[in-house]
Amino acid sequence: MSDKIGVYVCECGPNIADKVDIKKILAEISALNEPPEKIIIAKKHKLLCSKEGQDFLADEITKNELTHLVIAACSPRDHDITFMNVCKKTDLNPYLYKLVNIREHCAWIIPDKDEATEKAIQYIRAGISRVTYQAPLTEKELDSIPDVLVIGAGIAGIEASLSLAGENRKVYLVEKTSSIGGKVTRFEKILPHQGTNLDIIQEKIQAVQENENIKVFTETEVEKAIGFFGNFEIILKNIHNEEQKNDFKVGAVVVATGFDLTDPEKIPRYGYGKIEDIYTSMEIEESNSKTGKILLKSGKPPKSAALIHCVGREEKGYCSRVCCNYMFKIAQYLKEKIPAIKITEFYQDLCLPNKADQEFFIDTKNKGVDFIRFKDIAVRQKDKEKFIEYTKMDGKKEKISAEMIILAPAIEPAEGSKDIAELLNISLDETGFFQEAHQKLNPVATSIDGVYIIGSAQNPKDISDSIIDAQAVGGKILTQLIPGVKLVPEVTVSEISDAFCTGCQTCLSVCSYGAIYFDEDRNISIVNEAICRGCGNCVASCPSGAAHAKHFTSAQIYQEVLEAIR
Amino acid sequence: MNNSDILVIGAGVAGIEASLLLADTGKKVYLVEKASLTGGNVIKYEDVFSNMECSTCMIAPKQQEVLQSENIELLTLSTVEKVQGEIGDFTVTINKKARYVSLIDCIGCGMCYEPCPVSLKNEFEQNLSEKKAIYVPCPGSLPNVPAIDPEHCLQLNGKKTCNACVEACAFGAINLSDKDEKIEIKVGAIIVASGFDIIDPAGFPQYGYGKYPNVYTAMEAERLYASNGPTEGEITLRKGDAPPKSIAIIQCVGREQQGYCSSVCCMYSLKLAHYLKHKLPDAKIYNFHSDWCMPGKYYQKFHQDVKEEGVDFIYSPVAKIKVEGNDKSLSIEYYNGKNEKEKLSADMVILSLAMMQGKDTASLSKLLGIEQDTKGFFMNQAIQLGSVDTSKPGIFLAGCAEGPKDIQGSITQAEAAVGKVMSYLS
Ligand SMILES: Cc1cc2nc3c(=O)[nH]c(=O)nc-3n(C[C@H](O)[C@H](O)[C@H](O)COP(=O)(O)OP(=O)(O)OC[C@H]3O[C@@H](n4cnc5c(N)ncnc54)[C@H](O)[C@@H]3O)c2cc1C
Ligand SMILES: Cc1cc2nc3c(=O)[nH]c(=O)nc-3n(C[C@H](O)[C@H](O)[C@H](O)COP(=O)(O)OP(=O)(O)OC[C@H]3O[C@@H](n4cnc5c(N)ncnc54)[C@H](O)[C@@H]3O)c2cc1C
Ligand code: SF4
Ligand code: SF4
Ligand code: SF4
Ligand code: SF4
Ligand code: SF4
Repeated sequence: MSDKIGVYVCECGPNIADKVDIKKILAEISALNEPPEKIIIAKKHKLLCSKEGQDFLADEITKNELTHLVIAACSPRDHDITFMNVCKKTDLNPYLYKLVNIREHCAWIIPDKDEATEKAIQYIRAGISRVTYQAPLTEKELDSIPDVLVIGAGIAGIEASLSLAGENRKVYLVEKTSSIGGKVTRFEKILPHQGTNLDIIQEKIQAVQENENIKVFTETEVEKAIGFFGNFEIILKNIHNEEQKNDFKVGAVVVATGFDLTDPEKIPRYGYGKIEDIYTSMEIEESNSKTGKILLKSGKPPKSAALIHCVGREEKGYCSRVCCNYMFKIAQYLKEKIPAIKITEFYQDLCLPNKADQEFFIDTKNKGVDFIRFKDIAVRQKDKEKFIEYTKMDGKKEKISAEMIILAPAIEPAEGSKDIAELLNISLDETGFFQEAHQKLNPVATSIDGVYIIGSAQNPKDISDSIIDAQAVGGKILTQLIPGVKLVPEVTVSEISDAFCTGCQTCLSVCSYGAIYFDEDRNISIVNEAICRGCGNCVASCPSGAAHAKHFTSAQIYQEVLEAIR
Repeated sequence: MNNSDILVIGAGVAGIEASLLLADTGKKVYLVEKASLTGGNVIKYEDVFSNMECSTCMIAPKQQEVLQSENIELLTLSTVEKVQGEIGDFTVTINKKARYVSLIDCIGCGMCYEPCPVSLKNEFEQNLSEKKAIYVPCPGSLPNVPAIDPEHCLQLNGKKTCNACVEACAFGAINLSDKDEKIEIKVGAIIVASGFDIIDPAGFPQYGYGKYPNVYTAMEAERLYASNGPTEGEITLRKGDAPPKSIAIIQCVGREQQGYCSSVCCMYSLKLAHYLKHKLPDAKIYNFHSDWCMPGKYYQKFHQDVKEEGVDFIYSPVAKIKVEGNDKSLSIEYYNGKNEKEKLSADMVILSLAMMQGKDTASLSKLLGIEQDTKGFFMNQAIQLGSVDTSKPGIFLAGCAEGPKDIQGSITQAEAAVGKVMSYLS
């Protein structure tokens, strides 16, 4: 069959018409006509993107039974989608069309009309050359499973489960410890927002337990998770009984594995683990919520306490965001229980990013807590007395003694985050937290479609922000994984030709999405089209030329470039 | 009666994110934006901290998607006038101002600006440049279609007869008899994403804004640095021929008065310092700060990087800083870490001003029937446990309308609001 290529030049009002010689373009392009193999129809139009222009194009495609379409107009950024949609209304496959930009690339930047015209002709010829090497591509539809796996039953995982579970959607909530709730169940109070206690948390925990669409697995870990958005196969294993396994399928996975505190023993200058009555913030929270008391090892209430902020901040290279606030909370606990106590908070910066935080700080200060900004700090013991030796901002060295010392160790990603990352093929960033798909625009997604990260597993976060994250993942999954609605994966993906692949597996190592798997029996690599994003890494790295990116094949690019530089 | 259409108020990053997610499900979204363009404040910045990604490149694809989405009806130059009803069944009246230029016929060629005889201050450019009565706020505005300011257009305000723009337009896109419209829509839920404003520097005379020409707000500095801004990215002074040789950035202006930390100004001040070091490598840059607020995991690293670029950081209580001088040079009096009074001089001063509730917050809260908090922002219902709910079921908050936050936080909240809408309406 012969190619019948329609070439349509847009005047774009005066924008293109005044700056290039369209008549000349049409004449030269028409001269490329080589019937019967290659028939070229070249025409112009005043404004192809207008409704009238689009109807004209659709009519031309059908009437002339075009096999290929080339449009010479503006930037693909403006109207690629517009013209692909025109094709979709006709019998012409939208991947057999090519938009050539003669406005931004020629008319608008080249003052000399002849020169602009020449360049436009060259570009259009390149477009014609490319389009004949293009192949029709069709969208595929995949069935999807609406159910979701949530890993980690802290406040983030709990809220996510509640947002997601429903009549048509089951949630599997997996927790490695024996109970759900995470760190927040260890606190007596949740601050800075006054008047809250753990009732709301308990209500949420209960709601999870009573929800018949949420299946909770405690003392359980994920052993295997393979698949892609809409279709992951999951195997769970019981931590104490390796034999006890559960397997099921889900459409999405939410990682909510939370945080741990850095071990202050690793930073010897704080004396933790060596000197008596030095505690971490979490130890104080725990004993306080269990016994309602904060006491020295001797069983006596402390007469003085020093609260040291930012323990491990420098080492970690980031601020943990919640410790300033919870240290105020701990100071308030102490003041409530031991009104006569002398409290000094040693801080580096006060990080108060929420709109209510500053008030809470002022309130704490007004309760009689002293605040000292330090440059350097160390804890020393001398004759059973503990001293905090510090350098102030003006360089002066001072020291005070305190009976109790409370440290705010940096928040770090939960132990085992690395294993989870490997299991799901997602990345950790330079701070060790899970890496988001985009720092600004896509913070709860990851580089793998259908795998999400929420709560303090992504960044140190307070409870409010962890909950917002959980609701955000609700927003993502409820809009993108709808029961009964099929998923349409990207069509311009890579493919590997069986015949050329030598099985070297270079491509597996460069694919950031884990889209390529190796078929041991046939000794070839295969692209999973549901996962591939068409980035082309494998294409560039394959030593055998076996990998191709659909719609960006070497032949297509070569033919285009060949004409463009002729 | 359960209506599943949604109204989103404000087309900043938060409103855009919410609209796109909802539109993906086939729901109809009315996106109501007061300005003539989408993108909110973020499009004013050249780059965003801390990855220093080009701001336009980052959000233009999303703005474009809004324009191309079949399910989003974008109403620019529009505000909400009346809201009645309740969750699942709100009736909303929208006041849509005439644009005088057709969003369908205009191709954004810009031929109509030149002939317009009227010049006026361009507020989008922080009044650092002028625009015509027919204008787009800046190159790259989306939708890339001008609007006519009816108060200043000679034909429309009746001062003279003029038809210059209409004649210049080859596409017949301008219609001077366009009229304001009242549109009534029915929706099941509302997302309020009306953003923030910056506190007025006139309230802080000690820093000399308005008195000395070379004192700038951070937003002005953003536009000065922007390649699509009034100077095309050249750092120039209001008074003076040469670029500044020394620049002082003063953080936390207005924090004490507002009673909260704005949570992004430390970071954007670092960004400004980094910008300036980049364009004016030999300039001396001073940064007056109080405690650093750097709550993101990548933020402290950025602080470290900027420090290494050679910016002078001075910890000093902002309340005791004073800016004095004249048209040409400025002197900054401050207290150093030893609580001693010191002075230094600078050619340019930049004030990092507190973020505050958007100008329309009070009126919107009244007509939506939702509460404001003690700081003036919209109040979220269960602040103790993180929430995008307002005091009224079916109305949700997203972005800086709820309180100061960075882009990441605004986006997350928008997605959370969508999560809420989806669980209510599906
Ligand atoms: C001392 C202290 C006091 C604080 N006080 C406050 C306060 O007053 N107000 C406030 O807003 N915030 C406070 N915070 C912060 C608060 O703790 C966090 O915001 C919150 O716990 C984050 O919840 P999360 O669900 O992300 O993580 P987590 O609470 O850490 O929960 C994660 C859950 O995942 C489980 N898990 C981990 N790995 C796996 C795995 N591989 N498989 C299965 N399960 C796994 C864990 O066992 C845990 O149950 C405080 C923090 C500290 C350290
Ligand atoms: C100088 C400066 C620099 C910054 N730099 C960064 C940075 O580099 N990185 C970063 O992460 N964050 C930065 N931020 C913060 C960032 O600007 C905000 O996080 C972001 O703009 C919030 O988006 P939003 O959609 O909530 O609000 P906005 O951007 O304020 O958008 C709100 C929209 O609503 C519209 N609107 C208002 N009222 C109405 C009404 N009544 N009816 C209809 N529409 C209405 C407005 O016109 C606007 O389009 C910076 C802030 C400042 C002040
Ligand atoms: S939140 Fe406060 S205590 Fe914690 S690391 Fe940041 S500045 Fe230090
Ligand atoms: S790099 Fe090429 S040859 Fe090697 S496994 Fe991949 S496709 Fe096959
Ligand atoms: S009609 Fe109005 S907008 Fe148009 S050119 Fe005249 S003054 Fe300018
Ligand atoms: S109104 Fe007309 S002249 Fe003005 S930008 Fe639009 S198309 Fe061009
Ligand atoms: S973010 Fe920084 S500059 Fe802004 S108010 Fe808070 S501490 Fe001050």
